[in-house]
Amino acid sequence: MLGKLALDGSAEAAERQLQNHVHSHAASGHAAMIGAGAPAVGGPTDLDGLLYPPPALPHQPGRVREYTLRAIDKEIEIAPGVFFPAWTYNGTVPGPVIRATEDDILRVHFVNGSSHPHTIHFHGIHPAKMDGVFEIVDPGGEFTYEFPARPAALQLYHCHSTPLKKHIHKGLYGAFIIDPKEPRPPARELVMVMNGYDTDGDGANNFYTVNGRSFYHARYPLTVRRSETVRIYLVNLTEFDLINSFHLHGEFFRYQPTGTGDHWEYTDIVVQSQGQRGVIEIDFNNTGLFMFHAHQSEFAELGWMGFFNVID
Amino acid sequence: MEARAARRGELSWRLWALVPVILLAAVVGAYVASGASIAGMIGASPPQPDQFDVRRVEFKPGLIRIRVTNPQQEDLTIASVTVDDAIVPFEVDGSTTLGRLRSRTIEIPFEWVRDDPLTVGITSSTGIETVEAITAAVPTPGASARAFLGYGIIGFLVGVLPVALGLLWLPSLRRIQQRWLTGFMALTGGLLTFLGVEALFEAFELQAAVPAALGGPGLVLLGLAGSFLTMTFISSRFSAAGGGVIGGVALASLVAIGIGLHNFGEGLAIGTSFAFGQLSLGSFLIVGFMIHNVTEGLGIAAPAADEGSTLSLPRLIALTAIAGAPAIPGAWLGGFVANDVLAALFFGAAAGAAFEVVAEVVRYVARRDPAGLRSGYAIGGFFAGIALMYLTGLLAA
Repeated sequence: MLGKLALDGSAEAAERQLQNHVHSHAASGHAAMIGAGAPAVGGPTDLDGLLYPPPALPHQPGRVREYTLRAIDKEIEIAPGVFFPAWTYNGTVPGPVIRATEDDILRVHFVNGSSHPHTIHFHGIHPAKMDGVFEIVDPGGEFTYEFPARPAALQLYHCHSTPLKKHIHKGLYGAFIIDPKEPRPPARELVMVMNGYDTDGDGANNFYTVNGRSFYHARYPLTVRRSETVRIYLVNLTEFDLINSFHLHGEFFRYQPTGTGDHWEYTDIVVQSQGQRGVIEIDFNNTGLFMFHAHQSEFAELGWMGFFNVID
Repeated sequence: MEARAARRGELSWRLWALVPVILLAAVVGAYVASGASIAGMIGASPPQPDQFDVRRVEFKPGLIRIRVTNPQQEDLTIASVTVDDAIVPFEVDGSTTLGRLRSRTIEIPFEWVRDDPLTVGITSSTGIETVEAITAAVPTPGASARAFLGYGIIGFLVGVLPVALGLLWLPSLRRIQQRWLTGFMALTGGLLTFLGVEALFEAFELQAAVPAALGGPGLVLLGLAGSFLTMTFISSRFSAAGGGVIGGVALASLVAIGIGLHNFGEGLAIGTSFAFGQLSLGSFLIVGFMIHNVTEGLGIAAPAADEGSTLSLPRLIALTAIAGAPAIPGAWLGGFVANDVLAALFFGAAAGAAFEVVAEVVRYVARRDPAGLRSGYAIGGFFAGIALMYLTGLLAA
């Protein structure tokens, strides 16, 4: 039956097939955790803004790329009916994807609209006074970070106020892409920020997600085409746990740690500590539903699990 | 005319009694209407703990059933459910939002593994997870005729049988000297004291697990005072009927009632523990309870042996039934409809009954024996009663 998914070709047909698949396996186990059976919040396009990065621009030294990040205290729904009093950049956890090409001038206006002092600490190469460690921005305050974007890599940003553990796990982080001078080959580009939520304050996560909502891509599988390369910018910002991981079923992929250098690992599992990140490139050999999840079973069963729906 | 005025005056004074109630209602209404503004003068009140009270976890083939109660003032919402730290699909018999002291049953389709330890977690909408650890998952016995019979037999074995056996000492007790009989009477007092303390401790332990809104030590006191005062009332009736002295069969009956209440609690505890897989009812445990409870039969026999009163067989059977049979309904209740609030109340009642009977026994010994409570027989007997219960209790531990 999964084989048939490919034959129709259209995404709509794939969605129909998916629902059939779900209904005929609605008993228990993973089959129950897909489509309407998966407990995830929101509609099918809610996370598009975080999932799909802004397009890469061609290399043009000195061009200014401006972003505005606003710290906002906001209660977000992370699983159906479960609300987390988050600290956010621009109202989402993770915050928006920041993208620049190497040698762009990055100018990030930070407005602290929350009730706590925060900063933005970017990974990468920049002057000490742009590091977001000493320039604490009090509630109501503002600060503009400005520095040349380098080196080309998959970076990340997060708040560096103390207590650091709290400021990070409350949600102040996001992915930051610096594209190389030579653009990467065309691909279907996705951003996945792995995180967790400790909702009861015991220093252990109760929910795990990519891009902020548990089981979201189990509820709404990611439809991709077999003909296109799928490129995932994978960042780990999970607090409390030493590592997080990404595992893909039924396929192998290329992995470039930190998004730098010429070394690509050929694998089906990636392990990252907090702050580690890398670029995944998948060329699917087969069509159908392929699960992806943390290969820490506990994380997978607490929300860090989804599906690719590969079509022709 | 005057009479009517007097009546009217009386009526108005009766109505006046309503004034404090009406004013109180008005003040309460005004305070509630003011919202948080008065409490806000002092400071922000902390949020509610948002913890569920897990009343019962049942295991059926392919299914886990959890009974939860909202123990706090504010509403509590079931948002997510986990088994062994994995989010699972679940169904609730009604709205997922529970008002104060409302209960719901959560059903989880789950292939649990027999005898494995397991945890269930219920996460509120605020993300607070209430975790309940199960020592070993075992099928929860349903209300089948077989289970009914099984609990009945267990109740009979730990309640009725030992008491009946203990009563067989009656002819021997009749032939011993008065001061020895005093010793045995004191022994009855000692063992009842032991049972009372045991029941009281159990009651407080159960009470501690009950949501504060339903419980508190007052719950135990309610049970204890209820039974103590009822027993006092009954004994006063007995003593009135017996010409002021309570002893012999009347005292034996009181002892039987006290022990009966205790055995009800014991049956309840055994039934509950068994139903929840907390207790493996090995043959050794049953044997332990049997030996422990034979001493209870002795306790009833001692006062009955006095006075040379004759006890007909039906009377003996009645005493046995009063003292032993409550273990049977206790086991049923515990096995099928366990409830911590009721259990705490019953154990409190068992303690109250035991203490009341101790008081009767002490009064009796003091009156009957020339040396009173200070005779070596009375002191030794009382201590022997406690020691006997402790030692035989080790068998059931």
